[in-house]
Amino acid sequence: MSERRRGTYGRGQFFQDFGLILIFLAVVGVLVVLSPDAFARPANLIGIIKQASINGVLAMGMTFVIISGGIDLSVGSIVAFTGVVAASFAHPDEYPLALAIVAPMLLGALIGAVNGASVAYGGIPSFIVTLASMIVFRGAALITSDGSPVFGVSDAFEEIAGGFVAGYLPYLPIYFIVVAGLSAFVLKATVFGRRVYAIGGNATAAAVSGINVKATLTGVYMISGALAGLAGLLLASRTVSGSPTAGEGYELNAIAAVIIGGVSMTGGVGRWYGPVIGALLIAVIGNGLDILNVSSYYQLVIQGLIIYFAVLADIKGKAGR
Amino acid sequence: MKKTLVCLAAMTLGATLSWAPSVLSAELKAKPEQKYALLMSHMDNEFTIQLSGAVKDKAKELDAKLTVFDARNEIAKQISQVETAVTQGYTGILIEPVAVDGLGPALGAAKKAGIGVINLNQKVSDTSVIDSYVGANPVEGGQIEMEFIAKAIGGKGNVAFLLGPLGSDAQIGRTQGYENVLKNYPDIKVVYKQTANWRTDQALKLTENWLQTGTELAAVVSNNDDMALGAVKAAKDAQLIGKIKIAGLDAAPNALAAVKNGTMDATVSQNTIEQGLMGMEALVKLANGEKIEPVITVPHALITKENVAKFMK
Amino acid sequence: MMPPLLEMRGIAKSFNRNPVLDNVNLTVGRGEVHALMGENGAGKSTLMKILMGMLPADAGEIRLEGQLFSPHNPRDAMNHGLAMIHQELNPVLDMEVAENVFLGREIRRFGRGPFGVVNLGAMRQGCQELFDRFAIPLSPSARMRDLSVAQMQLVEIVKAISLSSKVVIMDEPTSAITEREVAILFRQIDALRAHGVSIIYISHKLDEIFQIADRISVMRDGVLVASDATSAFDRKTVIRHMVGREITNYIPKETVPIGDVVLEVRHLSWGQRVRDVSFSVRAGEILGIAGLVGAGRSETVETLFGIRPATSGEILIRGRPQPIHSPGAAIAHGLALVTEDRKMTGLNLLGTVEENISLAAIGRLARYGVIRKGQEHALAEDNIARLRIKTWSRDALVSSLSGGNQQKVVLAKWLVTQPDVIILDEPTRGIDVGAKRDIYLLIGELASQGKAVIVISSELIEIMGLADRILVMAEGQITGELGRDTFTQERIMEFATPTNEVRHV
Repeated sequence: MSERRRGTYGRGQFFQDFGLILIFLAVVGVLVVLSPDAFARPANLIGIIKQASINGVLAMGMTFVIISGGIDLSVGSIVAFTGVVAASFAHPDEYPLALAIVAPMLLGALIGAVNGASVAYGGIPSFIVTLASMIVFRGAALITSDGSPVFGVSDAFEEIAGGFVAGYLPYLPIYFIVVAGLSAFVLKATVFGRRVYAIGGNATAAAVSGINVKATLTGVYMISGALAGLAGLLLASRTVSGSPTAGEGYELNAIAAVIIGGVSMTGGVGRWYGPVIGALLIAVIGNGLDILNVSSYYQLVIQGLIIYFAVLADIKGKAGR
Repeated sequence: MKKTLVCLAAMTLGATLSWAPSVLSAELKAKPEQKYALLMSHMDNEFTIQLSGAVKDKAKELDAKLTVFDARNEIAKQISQVETAVTQGYTGILIEPVAVDGLGPALGAAKKAGIGVINLNQKVSDTSVIDSYVGANPVEGGQIEMEFIAKAIGGKGNVAFLLGPLGSDAQIGRTQGYENVLKNYPDIKVVYKQTANWRTDQALKLTENWLQTGTELAAVVSNNDDMALGAVKAAKDAQLIGKIKIAGLDAAPNALAAVKNGTMDATVSQNTIEQGLMGMEALVKLANGEKIEPVITVPHALITKENVAKFMK
Repeated sequence: MMPPLLEMRGIAKSFNRNPVLDNVNLTVGRGEVHALMGENGAGKSTLMKILMGMLPADAGEIRLEGQLFSPHNPRDAMNHGLAMIHQELNPVLDMEVAENVFLGREIRRFGRGPFGVVNLGAMRQGCQELFDRFAIPLSPSARMRDLSVAQMQLVEIVKAISLSSKVVIMDEPTSAITEREVAILFRQIDALRAHGVSIIYISHKLDEIFQIADRISVMRDGVLVASDATSAFDRKTVIRHMVGREITNYIPKETVPIGDVVLEVRHLSWGQRVRDVSFSVRAGEILGIAGLVGAGRSETVETLFGIRPATSGEILIRGRPQPIHSPGAAIAHGLALVTEDRKMTGLNLLGTVEENISLAAIGRLARYGVIRKGQEHALAEDNIARLRIKTWSRDALVSSLSGGNQQKVVLAKWLVTQPDVIILDEPTRGIDVGAKRDIYLLIGELASQGKAVIVISSELIEIMGLADRILVMAEGQITGELGRDTFTQERIMEFATPTNEVRHV
């Protein structure tokens, strides 16, 4: 095996490092050609980043979990639950706006801590822990909302995700950019990030090397939960309501973005920018297919195939010498 | 939180709608030994909550013992719930089916066991296994909604359809209603037809993308209110409120609020509460040996800014 | 004239235009034990993979009993009478011995293919017959999980025999078994030889080679540099062929002044596997711990290091009792542990050389939780140079390194924590002669720097060459202690054998 990260470049090596960006640019290129007047408009391009933002925020949290060697299926339900809570605190003149902003993230972090502690200290596989909390918090969302969307939120709350900088640039992408930037910093530059990679690569070796694996894992799930809380807040603000059925399947979209981004499902390997491009790619494809007026049936097939081929290319890229 | 208020609004809405032809016989009461089952497809949106709430209210009024089952949108679960109702010796079943097919054998067995079966809201394909169907005709609902939009845009222009999950009966019926009306309006062109799976966030994304194409839209016609509200948000962000007509269906409280403040143009009530009340009443009548009609249709009502107050209170 | 059993001619193979095999000619006779030697990366495994159909050759031909032979996959090779016993065995642990022997070609009662009904009785009987023929003391109905590594190896050999194999390839068969079990293995090899089966025996252990092999072939850098009857070689010539230079003073040992007691362990226990173990080690001293596999040596140091929770006992660092409940605490108290299995517990194989070197000390390289990259790079470069780790860059994936260099990375990881006590568990297992020598030199250097060193090893020559003092363990207890002037192989084995009287003292 002559797997290398940097240095002498073979053709396969180049593709492994930049293949994702190339695929992304190719898809964008095809869409520009197919729909020059609609797709390539600046307003649409900003719109795409906007549409990628909520999934992107979730994907960054999922990146931490997947690099650590786990999975978090609960984020979609946390989005619904925290979204309902956010909207409930957001009726005009009832509570301070800060509560509607802070509560979802705190709640998300708390749920994440319980998930993480169950995985790390309880020794239960993450798939099972987060599957259980996915069901529990879908129920919690329904209970909190009595089963129907919470509406009637204040204008200020709507501004959180719906506002514009200078009347043109929407806020939503800014959250995504900030979250992606912070995640990149934590993963690449900090001790915590290094430990997450080490645990995903070989948890036993990490423990023997003196890393507190349990505390680190708990932190990882807390990050994912808190970002899911942020996503819940943003979705509630964007849709001007907190719906208990919102966020269904969001965990799978986030996982898809992470996998398309080349993060290994078995943990230990993955670059921070992979999931960012993964989320953008999913949004670009959805936007392009809508603009080209492709039938919903075919959209599903195309989206599924893209995930399949992205992962296939990733595996082949790694297997190639 | 504010949810109790919403429920309250729903109940008053039910009361307001009681002008509909429910012949309230003062002497109709359930017998103490009778027990009834309400089988709901799911319990997690405004519509199912209103419907089951109305059934429960009526049951209370008639002193009927009622148990509510939630199939969580799983047909297999609903089948086993029907079977449970049979083995547990229920007098009558009120079923709001998960799907129109697949319940035939289970309901047939119930009928054979002498249990009264009333089908609520969505009509099962094999009507021989039910005693009566109580519900609105989705085609009619779609027609009312489309007719409003057609007139509002002056009988010409581009329109987009936001569809429910493809293949669901409400989606098929309501969309059929749109098509029926459009036969009379040759100048209206359907430029987009996509599903947003009943969901606000998906409809928002879809409408945003449509607005980016540069194709001028005169109206967005939605299979339900949650999706229509997504279109409203997209139009608002693009500063197109008022320029694009938007209509939904279901008379959900948040849609009523939107109609009231003018961001949404119309919604259509399928008189959910009336369906529940009439369904429960028919079931008790059936159990008491009265004759009931095989199809009891509850008419739809168009709600616009002019009459929305009546539905909100 | 009868053609040789197996003949490989002009075999060549390149990866990425990088030649790993160049015109290799290897001839193996019938009923011959043929040792194949070479440092890691010399091309032995690639050659065997080509023979077993796991890789295609770029050039050359293979003849089996004179017939041209080009296997497309391992199954194909097996059908032609070739079998390989891998260094890392992969038995189905929850199946019986007999089921493992007949895995993939189960004897069926009726029906065909995957729909057949397995006849377990017939499989057990067939297995027993094979065991009887080779006098193997195993039960066909035993669970695989309950067997030792050596016993699993015997099962693999029986499996090869049951395939009526003509050539059996054994890759480092003694890397994970004790000396006593090696004797049993060699008896089986002799029996196979007597039945006309040829063995290609891959090993680094010279003693074994000279004991068992009829012929020796040595590879270096993808080329077969020597191939002759065993009698034509001695230890020095084999090593010279392998490394391309003479290695003198195989295990260097210099005298170092012994200082104060740094670490003392009192009455340490971990369940039944570590029982009431007490010992101490001084600055500048190299303490060897010998014993058979399963004697509790690894468990003892892992308990000491906080990996396993001690059920009783006390640990004193420089005379003061310290509670060590986690590896983190152990590191903070100046301990370091190079674990036995570097792939499982030593390295993050998905990480780079640098990431692995800095792993245990990463907290010290950071300010406010942010890693100071400049310091990290410098640390990695220093250690790569100091330990002579052969890698093209600190950014190379550690998995791309040879076993010996991987082991040096593990050592570097622990050296950067600046420990006072370094514990090395089987530090030279499965690595080549050159790297072994570097590690011996390093151990000596650490002792001369005044560190206390504990070395666990199953190779008696190694431990006797390195240690100032040897503790022998058996069944979780210390059964004997020998000073440098008193230890011999015989005395160590006496203490290590569980039936020895000493354990009742």
